[in-house]
Amino acid sequence: MVRKPIAIDSVDALAKRMQQMRAAQEVFATFSQEQVDEIFYRAALAANKARIPLAKMAVEETGMGLVEDKVIKNHYASEYIYNAYRETRTCGVIEEDKAFGMTKIAEPIGIVAAVIPTTNPTSTAIFKCLICLKTRNAIIISPHPRAKACTIEAARIVRDAAEAAGCPEGIIDWIPQPSLELTNELMHNSDIILATGGPGMVRSAYSSGKPALGVGPGNTPVIIDESADVKLAVNSIIHSKTFDYGMICASEQSVTVVGDALYKKVKDEFERRGCYFLKGDEVKKVGNTVIINGSVNAKIVGQPAYKIAQMAGVEVPKNTKILIGEVSSVDPSEPFAHEKLSPVLGMYRAKTFEDALEKAKRLVADGGFGHTSSLYIDTAEREKIAAHAEAMKTCRILINTPSSQGGIGDLYNFKLTPSLTLGCGSWGGNSVCGNVGVMNLLNFKYVAERRENMLWLRTPEKLFFKKDCMPVALRELKDVYGRKRCFIVTDTFLYKSGFTKQIEGILDEMGIMHASFWEVTPDPTLQCAEQGLRQMQAFDPDCIIALGGGSAMDCAKIMWMMYEHPEARFEDMAVDFMDIRKRVYTFPELGSKAFFVAIPTSSGTGSEVTPFAIITDAETGVKWPIADYQLLPNMAIVDTANMMTQPKGLTSASGVDVLTHALEAFVSMMASDYTDGMALRAMKLVFDYLERAYDTPGDVEARDHMANASCLAGMAFANAFLGVNHSMAHKLGAWHHIPHGWANAVILTRVMRYNSAEVPTRMGTFPQYDHPKTLARYAEAARFCGVTGADDAEVFERFIAKIEALLEYVGVKKTIAEYGVDEQYFLDNLDEMSEQAFNDQCTGANPRYPLISEIRELYLDAYYGRPASSYED
Amino acid sequence: MQLSDCKVEIVRRHNKVVYRDGDRVIKVFNASKPAQDVFNEALNCARIQEAGVRVPRILEVSQVEDGSWALANEYIPSRTLSGIMHDAAGDELKAYMDQFVELQLEIQAIPAPILLNNQKRKLIGMISVVRELDPTARYDLQMRADGMRSGRTICHGDFNPSNVLIPEDGGKPYVCDWTHVSRGVPEADAAMTYLELSLEQPDWAELYLDAYSVKADIPKQKIRYWLPVLAAAELSRGRHLYDEFLLGWINAAADFE
Repeated sequence: MVRKPIAIDSVDALAKRMQQMRAAQEVFATFSQEQVDEIFYRAALAANKARIPLAKMAVEETGMGLVEDKVIKNHYASEYIYNAYRETRTCGVIEEDKAFGMTKIAEPIGIVAAVIPTTNPTSTAIFKCLICLKTRNAIIISPHPRAKACTIEAARIVRDAAEAAGCPEGIIDWIPQPSLELTNELMHNSDIILATGGPGMVRSAYSSGKPALGVGPGNTPVIIDESADVKLAVNSIIHSKTFDYGMICASEQSVTVVGDALYKKVKDEFERRGCYFLKGDEVKKVGNTVIINGSVNAKIVGQPAYKIAQMAGVEVPKNTKILIGEVSSVDPSEPFAHEKLSPVLGMYRAKTFEDALEKAKRLVADGGFGHTSSLYIDTAEREKIAAHAEAMKTCRILINTPSSQGGIGDLYNFKLTPSLTLGCGSWGGNSVCGNVGVMNLLNFKYVAERRENMLWLRTPEKLFFKKDCMPVALRELKDVYGRKRCFIVTDTFLYKSGFTKQIEGILDEMGIMHASFWEVTPDPTLQCAEQGLRQMQAFDPDCIIALGGGSAMDCAKIMWMMYEHPEARFEDMAVDFMDIRKRVYTFPELGSKAFFVAIPTSSGTGSEVTPFAIITDAETGVKWPIADYQLLPNMAIVDTANMMTQPKGLTSASGVDVLTHALEAFVSMMASDYTDGMALRAMKLVFDYLERAYDTPGDVEARDHMANASCLAGMAFANAFLGVNHSMAHKLGAWHHIPHGWANAVILTRVMRYNSAEVPTRMGTFPQYDHPKTLARYAEAARFCGVTGADDAEVFERFIAKIEALLEYVGVKKTIAEYGVDEQYFLDNLDEMSEQAFNDQCTGANPRYPLISEIRELYLDAYYGRPASSYED
Repeated sequence: MQLSDCKVEIVRRHNKVVYRDGDRVIKVFNASKPAQDVFNEALNCARIQEAGVRVPRILEVSQVEDGSWALANEYIPSRTLSGIMHDAAGDELKAYMDQFVELQLEIQAIPAPILLNNQKRKLIGMISVVRELDPTARYDLQMRADGMRSGRTICHGDFNPSNVLIPEDGGKPYVCDWTHVSRGVPEADAAMTYLELSLEQPDWAELYLDAYSVKADIPKQKIRYWLPVLAAAELSRGRHLYDEFLLGWINAAADFE
């Protein structure tokens, strides 16, 4: 229920009126886009029709400006603003992206307090009322006392038209007798302030404690470059500077001309077009009339040039367009260096373009920070245009454009938002830097629905497997890829045992040149890779063949990276990431120089199909874990023939590593249907064949299946990643030198129990992982591997027992202590180790987000073989 | 309070007579002077003194026989700086001006007591009673004053060489007459000094502005910005002697976009 508006003549009346307006605005806020657009349309039309009477009123009341020019401003404020926003959605849902689950909703802000200046008293009122109507806001105007009648009349016309079109009553109102007290009270009680005016008023607005869109004064400097079109430049400046007798804040205040020859041309053109160059002491007389103590004399604002000259006691022709003072100082003590709000212009001579830039910079800094600057130039001079844009701290930089008409937008450039409130950014002490429009008067709600991450499956381009497949597969190097120079990377043992011989023979047969580096050490070092790199660079291969276990393959990957990109830095590559797609470092592309073939000789690491490599800097002892799909080999050849001679220890350690890979990838938050299939099959193969391969090294069938299990698990964790089990094992390896596979195995069932908690302290952060469900995942894996039970808990317990039995069978010890780790040394380093395990790259995908203290407990339990704790929170 | 027979009249103004009476200086105000103004002056003086500024100590506030209020300060055997400056010229005058500015900066560097009047509110209040100005001009001036930040500086409000006492014993100078002191921004206080000097001693005014701007490292335009506001506040004192001059400065106050 909207009551009849009451007159605002006191602070109390204002408070009451604002209460009424709030009620009306609440009703308005429920209006549809169609209703609002109709109101906006009717109001714009009404303002447009009244443009001439309003212009007359403004000139009559303020005694400033020119009726015909004010007509343009009123016309612009109604027509251009309507046109700019006619199609703009400002009510309710304005954007919807179903795929990303994002809805953007526009809501009004409430009551807008608008302060309207004397220089544009009707056009700014029309502009502000219209954008408030379009955004369903209420507006109270505080007019300037010198222009209150015309400002109020403009607002009344818009209001009446809006109400006739169905707008709630009293959405637009004003303070009839503005005072400091009422204006401040209004600003304090509004929801947002649209302040257009001088610096004092804008500062007042910002100190009101309410969000303010305050804009401020300008001191637009113009530079005319030697390349400029003089006629266009001078006449544009006259056109703009005389507009409404210089009262637009974007209007030119000074012209700096580059070069003496051009200066004369410019001067001649100004004179020819009716501008007057002040002579001798006339410069000082006019200067001291226009500017008093550094501020503009109110009596000259918006007055014709002739009248100002008269006031200064200077005789000029009656039809003089602009008074021009030729001055040299850009210091604020020079009146012509100021904003003059009248057809009075300063003119400077610059030796060079750079000199002109310096002058313009100073003029902007002293009076027009953030507002507008202008340049006349041949647009082919891109470098100068860029230098000018860089030097000017102004939010509008206009090229070959009359700045009064250009700055307000859509008249000389159709991408600049039309507006009568021009933001000056933080430079001008404003909260906005663009041209203010409807988007500044809305609150937006962003409704974001939960979405799951896109996942992926990345594997080598080609993967060949089955015993004795290598000779066939290698033929592709010639037949398919046309490679001519192969560089083989392997370790001394394999080289001396003749593993490379067969490869070399095949390459020789195909006429492919080859060389070998066979000095890769276990836990390969950067120094080792650098040594190999030198040989590789000397040989200049177009193909790299990595033969061996994880160490040889990792080292070869690193050499590949350094060979292709010697400039890449390990410390950048090794920085941990939360999401591999969002990491800060972008890996350079590999493969442009060499094709990478990985041939594993053990069934464990899966390195032939993973994007990972670890390298240690022997000098600093730092381990660099490098992870990126660029490191994925191009071809993997899983030939069981290369794995038949694995010793028992290696078979055990690498076999249980495969099981850990499969289990961690399966319960990882990033597990997918694609990786699940591989992980489940891999773990089942381990249960079925590891014991056989362990007992009977020559069991080809068992070896074949273990090789596949390793590679399958590798592909699973290359895409789903691992978890805290590997984080902890990495540190056991680093501190206590327990072989990697066994380091995993000795803590495996404890970590599984920890991960399976139904009430974890923290769960991992990933949209796909919606509740603690790792117990059920383990049970699913267990059932796939043939374990049965009444419920998930029972199946889980039996799965643990099955795993422990397998581990025992292949000789995995039951505690960390049994691996010969000294108790005191272990305890001394426990805190550091726990923190580093927490910080390991593998921790990120773990379904339970671990606390450092929890990792510490797990280590202690596993060290002493203490009965498993309950890991529920 | 009773003045002795040895009292000597020093100066007579429209609202007070100032006497020296032995080792005291006594201002006897007209009967029409409101008690709150007298106590306020004494209070300001006490606050300033306790903040660490060298001022003639306040000794007593009480009524004289006819019921008028009087305020007694300690007497400092001294000359005013303005008296000394009037006898100087050239570099010597410049040196005194430097000394004057340094004294002002020294006071401005002392943290202002929090209870001092707020400069901005004081100025807005003063402007609101200036009937010589039309309401539109008052609105512009008040808007400009309202944009003033709340400073934390002791602003004497009437800092000119006639309020600086140079002791005869060669000791450090004293500053008197704290009626208009407020807590505010230093550039507005400097503007006030510049304004007062411009009225009475225009050549000193430029000398002052040059020295203050450099020593305080405040651009002149920041000082000049407040001149229309201060000119209006000055009008409120109703002295009328300089009204035309002040109105000329006020014309520059319109707060344009």
